[in-house]
Amino acid sequence: MAAPNKSSVKIAPGAVVCDECELIGDITIGARTVIHPKARIIAEAGPVIIGEFNIIEELVHITNRFPDGAEGKKNSQVMVIGNNNVFEVGAQIESTKVGDHNVIESKAFVGPQVELTSGCIIGAACHVTTGEKLPENTVIYGAKCHRRIQRERPPAQNLQIDFLTKILPNYHYLKKVSKAQSPPK
Amino acid sequence: MATFMDVNLVRYLCTCGKRLPPCRLYLCRHCLKLRCADCVQHEVDSPYCPNCLENMPASEAKLKKNRCSNCFDCPICGHTLMTRATSQMVPSSEDPSKSTPKKMYYMACSFCRWTTRDGGLADQSTSNGGWKDEENPEAKRINTLLESYRSIAQREKAEKERKKYVKRRSHAGFQDRYGLTSVAMKWKIQPAMSNLSVKETEKVPPAPELVSPVEDFDPLPSEIFSDIVQLDKVTYLSHRLNAPEFQPPATKDLRPVHKHLLVRRSLRCRECDHNLSKPDFNPLSIKFKIQLIALNHIPEIRIMAPATFSVNKETVVTFTLSNPSVYSTVVKLLPIEGDTDLDYMTAKVDLPKSDLVLALHDDTAVYDDGTKAQQEFKDDPRVVVFRRANKLGFAAKVTPFCKEGEVKVSFMMKHEFRNTAAAIQSEDKEPKLEWLEHRIFINLGRIQL
Repeated sequence: MAAPNKSSVKIAPGAVVCDECELIGDITIGARTVIHPKARIIAEAGPVIIGEFNIIEELVHITNRFPDGAEGKKNSQVMVIGNNNVFEVGAQIESTKVGDHNVIESKAFVGPQVELTSGCIIGAACHVTTGEKLPENTVIYGAKCHRRIQRERPPAQNLQIDFLTKILPNYHYLKKVSKAQSPPK
Repeated sequence: MATFMDVNLVRYLCTCGKRLPPCRLYLCRHCLKLRCADCVQHEVDSPYCPNCLENMPASEAKLKKNRCSNCFDCPICGHTLMTRATSQMVPSSEDPSKSTPKKMYYMACSFCRWTTRDGGLADQSTSNGGWKDEENPEAKRINTLLESYRSIAQREKAEKERKKYVKRRSHAGFQDRYGLTSVAMKWKIQPAMSNLSVKETEKVPPAPELVSPVEDFDPLPSEIFSDIVQLDKVTYLSHRLNAPEFQPPATKDLRPVHKHLLVRRSLRCRECDHNLSKPDFNPLSIKFKIQLIALNHIPEIRIMAPATFSVNKETVVTFTLSNPSVYSTVVKLLPIEGDTDLDYMTAKVDLPKSDLVLALHDDTAVYDDGTKAQQEFKDDPRVVVFRRANKLGFAAKVTPFCKEGEVKVSFMMKHEFRNTAAAIQSEDKEPKLEWLEHRIFINLGRIQL
C-alpha cells in the first residue's frame, strides 16, 4: 500500500478555516468560505472542490467516498460544492454535486446518488438517498421527507459570514492560507 | 417525582376499567377512588392561544370562531409562522430620486419554509399586524339567509308565547284567585300582544331567493388528460380543508391560517362532584389550585432492572416502591386468586408475604448528609433489597407459564392512606386512616426463547 498521501489543501485568501477541523485529501476551499472547528472533509476517492461564501458548521462530514465496488481507485470522482451553501451542524454529505444557495439542515444525510441543484433545502434529520437530481428550490422536510417547491431560493447568509469572519479568529487558530499558485503555462 | 412519558409498564386499574400508569390517574379525595381523564367531567376554564398565551373569555372566543387574531399557522405543515424582517430600498417621501432602506415584514414557517411571499402576499410594513383576512366569497348570501331565518325564528317564538298566554287566559278562575298575579299577567300579556299586533300588520319578510340547481355544465376539457400534472402546484386535501371557505386547489393561493385556541380545563369527579384538577387561570403559569394526581398520593411501584425470563423458570425481579405522602405507609401486596385471564396475567408471581413499611416523603432529606439517625426498620434481607428515604426495593419471584409473548403479572396492593381532605372538614387534628386497594398490572418484557 502506498504511503498515505500528504494532505494537499488549497485555501483561497479570505477563507476562514479553523485549525481544529479535519481536512484529509486533496481539498480546494474558495474565498470567503467559513469552516467551523470539528468539521471533517475527507477526500477519499478524489478531490473535493468547495466554492465561495459557504458556511460549514461543526460536526459536518463531507466525504467523497469510494463508490461501491471501486475501492482503491484514487482520483476516480471529483466532488464539487458550489457557492453560498450552508451546511448546518451534524450534516453528512456524500453527494458528488452540490450546487449553489443550498441549505442542508442539522443532522441531515445526503447520499452519494443525490445531486443537489440550487436553492434546495434538506430539512433537519432528513435522509435523502434516492438517485436523482433534485429540482431547483426543492424543500424536503418532515420525518417522512415531504417535498415542496419554494418560489424563491433561501436568503443569502452574507451577514453571518461577515460576523463569523470577524469573531472566529478571536477564539480559534486558523489554518494558513496557501500561497497563490502561478498560472500554468 | 419524575415519570416517563411513554413507558407504560406499570399500570393501575381505574374505576372505569382502563389500566393506566399512575401519572395519568387522579385520586378523588372524597370517594377515595382512582379516576382517569376519560371518566371525569371536563369543564372549560378559559380558551387561550398556545402561541401568544392570550387569555380570552369564552364569549369573545366564540365571536372569533375560536381562533387567535394575531397568530398564524402555516397552511402547509401547521407550524406557527414567525415574522421575519427584510430591508427594502423604498423611494423616500422627501426625495423621490433617493431610496432609503425600509423594514418590511413577512411571515415564514421554520419547518417547511413556506413564506407569505410563496402565497403571493406582499410584505407588510408593520411587524405585528396588517395581514388582512380575505372575505368569504359567499358571505353576502350567508348573511341574507341568516337574517331571513332569524326573523322567521323570532316570529315563531312570539307565536309560541302568544299561544301559551292565550291558553291561560281561558281559565276563568285563575285570574280571580290570585289578585296580584292577574295584574302581573296583564302586564306580561300586553307587551307581547302589542309586539304581535305590530308584526301582523307588517308584511312577512320575503323569503330568500332559492338558488336554482345547476343542471348543465361544460364537459371535461380534454387537456386534463394530456397536461403534465405538476404535483407541487396542487394542494393536498388537508390544506384545502384548513380553509373551507376558499378551498384553494393551487398552492399559490394558500393563505396563513389563524391559530386555533386551546382550552384550559378543570376536571371534576362525576360521582361526588368535587374538583380533581384545577389549574391556575393564567395560561402562563403551570401551577395548580387543586392538583390531585394519583402519583402524589399513592405509593408507586416501578421495575428496577430488566430481567430475562424463560418458561417455567423462576426469576427474581426487583421492584421499587416509593411513598409520596407526608405520612409513613404500610403496604400489603396480595396475589389475585382464580383469575387466569391470559390477557393480563401470563406469569405467576410470588409476592413478599409480610407488610412493607415505607417512610414518609421528606423534602428536606435531599439536603441531609446522611448523618441524621434514620428510623430503624427491621427488614427481611431476602425480601427487602434496599431502603432509602421514602423508597424501598423488594424482590419477587416471577414464573411465566406461557411459552412466548410478554410476561405480565397482576396483583393487588393495599396501602394506608391518610385523608387530608376529610380532616380539614372535621374537628379532629389527626387525619383519618383508610386502607385503599388497587389492582396493579405490570408488563415485564418478552420471554427469551
